[in-house]
Amino acid sequence: MNPLVSRLVRTDWFGPLIVIVLATIIVSLFDPSFLSPFNIQILMLAVAVNCVIAMSQMIIIGIGQMNLAIGAIGGLAAISFAGMMQIWGLPPLLAAAAALALGVVAGLGNGVLISKTGISAFIITLASLSIFKGANLGITRAQPFYGVPDSVKAFGNTTMFGPVPWLALPAALVIAAIWYLLYRQRIGRYILAVGGNQSAAELSGISVSRVVLWAHGVSGFLAALAGVMLVARLQIGDPTIGDEWLILSFAAPVIGGAVLSGGHVSVFGTLFGVVIVAIITQALVIFRIDPFFVQVVLGLLILWAVGVNRLREVRVQRMLKRA
Amino acid sequence: MDAPPSVEGAAMVESRSPGRDDNLSRKPPPEWTRFLLTNEFGLIALILIFATVFALGTPGFSSPFNLFTLGRTMAIDIMIGFSMMVVIVTGGLNLSVGAIGVCAAIGCGWLLEQAGMPVLVAIGAALALGAALGALNGFIIVRSGLHSFIITLATTSIYFGLMLFLTRAAAYRNIPADMSAFGKMRFAGYLSPLLFVSVVAGLLLAGLYRLTPLGREILAAGAKAAAAELSGVRVGRTIVICHALSGALAGVAAIMVVARTGAAIPAMAGNLGQDWLLPAFLGPVLGGTLLAGGRASVLGTFLGAALVSELTNGLLQFRVGEFWVQSWLGLLLLLAVLMDLARRSFLAGRGV
Repeated sequence: MNPLVSRLVRTDWFGPLIVIVLATIIVSLFDPSFLSPFNIQILMLAVAVNCVIAMSQMIIIGIGQMNLAIGAIGGLAAISFAGMMQIWGLPPLLAAAAALALGVVAGLGNGVLISKTGISAFIITLASLSIFKGANLGITRAQPFYGVPDSVKAFGNTTMFGPVPWLALPAALVIAAIWYLLYRQRIGRYILAVGGNQSAAELSGISVSRVVLWAHGVSGFLAALAGVMLVARLQIGDPTIGDEWLILSFAAPVIGGAVLSGGHVSVFGTLFGVVIVAIITQALVIFRIDPFFVQVVLGLLILWAVGVNRLREVRVQRMLKRA
Repeated sequence: MDAPPSVEGAAMVESRSPGRDDNLSRKPPPEWTRFLLTNEFGLIALILIFATVFALGTPGFSSPFNLFTLGRTMAIDIMIGFSMMVVIVTGGLNLSVGAIGVCAAIGCGWLLEQAGMPVLVAIGAALALGAALGALNGFIIVRSGLHSFIITLATTSIYFGLMLFLTRAAAYRNIPADMSAFGKMRFAGYLSPLLFVSVVAGLLLAGLYRLTPLGREILAAGAKAAAAELSGVRVGRTIVICHALSGALAGVAAIMVVARTGAAIPAMAGNLGQDWLLPAFLGPVLGGTLLAGGRASVLGTFLGAALVSELTNGLLQFRVGEFWVQSWLGLLLLLAVLMDLARRSFLAGRGV
C-alpha cells in the first residue's frame, strides 16, 4: 500500500472524515439545500456546542474514567449564568466567568473525591450528578430564567462572517487549546500516560492524583462553557440544559477512536464524530424520518464505533506479534 | 453504612485471630454479635432511627395513607435495586434498566389497550420483552468483549428511541381496572400488596444465590471470571442470564409503576429512563454489594432501597423542598460509599 495512504488509514480521524465526505455527498444529492449557507450555519451551531460537550467527556476518557456529571455541571452553570444576570444584574462577562469558575470547582470536587478515596469515578460522578441536578431544580424550581441580556442572545444567534456563527469561536479556541494541552504540554502527556497505565505512570514519578484533578477541572470547565453557550443559543436559562448530553458525550469520542479504558483519545477524531452526529441528525430531518429516531441512530453509532475500534485494536496486536 | 463501631464491637473485632475467615479463628464470636457488625444490621438500625425521627417530627409520616404510599414506592425502588444488583454481581453494570423498564411498561400498555389482551398475558409478555432486551445486552457484551458500561449506554439510546419511534411517545391510560385496583389495594389500612411482590422476588433471588448451582456459578464468574471458566463455568452464559434477569426485574418494577399510576407513560422514568439510575445504584451500594462483582447481598439491597424510599418520603414530609430531594439522595450515596470506605480501613487497621 502507498505509505501515505497507510499512514492516513492508521490515524483516528481519517475514517470519520471519509464518512463525513460521503454522507455530505449523499445527502446533498437528495437535497441540494443541504449545502446552503443557512443550513451550514445551523450545522455549525450544533457542532460548536456539541464539540465542547464531547471534549469535556473526552479528557476524562483520556484518564480512563468517566464523568456522568457533565450534563448536570453544564446545566447548573447555565442556570447560574442566566440567574446571576437576571437576579443580581451582573454584566454578562462577569456572570460567564463566575459560571465557568463554578464548573471548574464542581469538576475539581469530583476529582478530589475520586483521587482521595479511590472510589470508582462512576459512583462519585453519579452522586455528584444528582447533587448538581437537585441544586439546579432547587434554585430554579424547574422554571427557566428569562432575563438574558440582548448582547448574550446576539452572541448565540448571529454570524461572525459568511455562515460562521459567533459560537464557533469559543468552540475553535477549545479545540486548539485541548490539542495543545494534550499533545504539546507535559500535563497532557501525563493525562494520557495515566490513562494508558496508571501504575506505570505512578512508578515513573507522575503524581496521578494531580493529573486526575487537572482532567476533572478541565472537564468541569468545558461542561460549564457548553452550558453558557447554550444559554446564549436558546436565549433562556433552561433548567433542562444538560439532560441529554450523556449519550452524545460518549458517542463522539468513541466514533473518533477513543479507547474507553483510557490513554488514547483523538481531538480531531472527536470533532469529526460530533460532525457525523450533526449530519445524521440533519439528514433525518431532511428525509422526514421521525426525530425520535436520532436516539436509535446514536446508539447504533456507538455500537458500530466500539466494534470498529475493537477490530483495529485486534489488528494492531496481530501486527505487533508478527513484527 | 454499618453499625457504629461501638466499644464492644471494636473489642470483638480485636479478639478475632488474624485469619480473615471466621472458620479459621480460634473462638468464633456468637452468631448474633457477628450480625450486629454487618451492613444489614446497620441499615435496620438506620431505618428504625429515621422512622422514629420522622414519626415524631412530622404529623403526616405515620398516617396509614402515607405508610401505604411509602410502601408502594419502596416496593418499586427495591425492584429497581434488584434489577441492578443482579448485574453488579457479574462485575458489570446495566445503564439501560430504566429504558428496558419503560419499554416493558409501554409494551404492556399497548397489549392491554390496542391488542385487548387479558391482564396476565400482557404482563407475561412485558416481562418476556424485558428479559429479551436484557439478554440482548448480555449477548452483545459477551460477543464483543467490551465493557457493559458502553454497550448498555448504547442500547439505552436504541431501546428508548425505538420505543418512542414506534409509539410516537403516546401514553396508554386505559389500563384495566383489575390492574390499577391491585395498585390501590390496601391490607390492614396501610400495607400495599406491591411490597409482597418485592419480598417474594427477594426470597427467590436469595434462594437462587444460596441454593442453586446456577447461583453459585454466577457468583464464581463474578468474583474471578478466568478461574470460574477453568473450573468449568460457562462465564458467557452466566453473563447473558444475569442481564436477562435484570431486564425481567426492570420489567416487574415498571409494571408495578403502571399498576400504581394506572397508566403506561413514556416519561415515567425521565428522559432515556435516567431517573431510575440513582435508585438502581443506591440500593445495592448501600446494601454492600461489591461493585467489583462476586458478592450479592439481597437483604442489604432490600434494606438499602427501603432506607432510600423512607428518607425521600420523610424529607418530603419535612418540606425541605421537593426539588432538593435529588441533591440529598446524591449526598446520601456519597456518604454511603465514604462510610463503607472508613469501615473497611477501620477493620484493616485492626488487622481483621
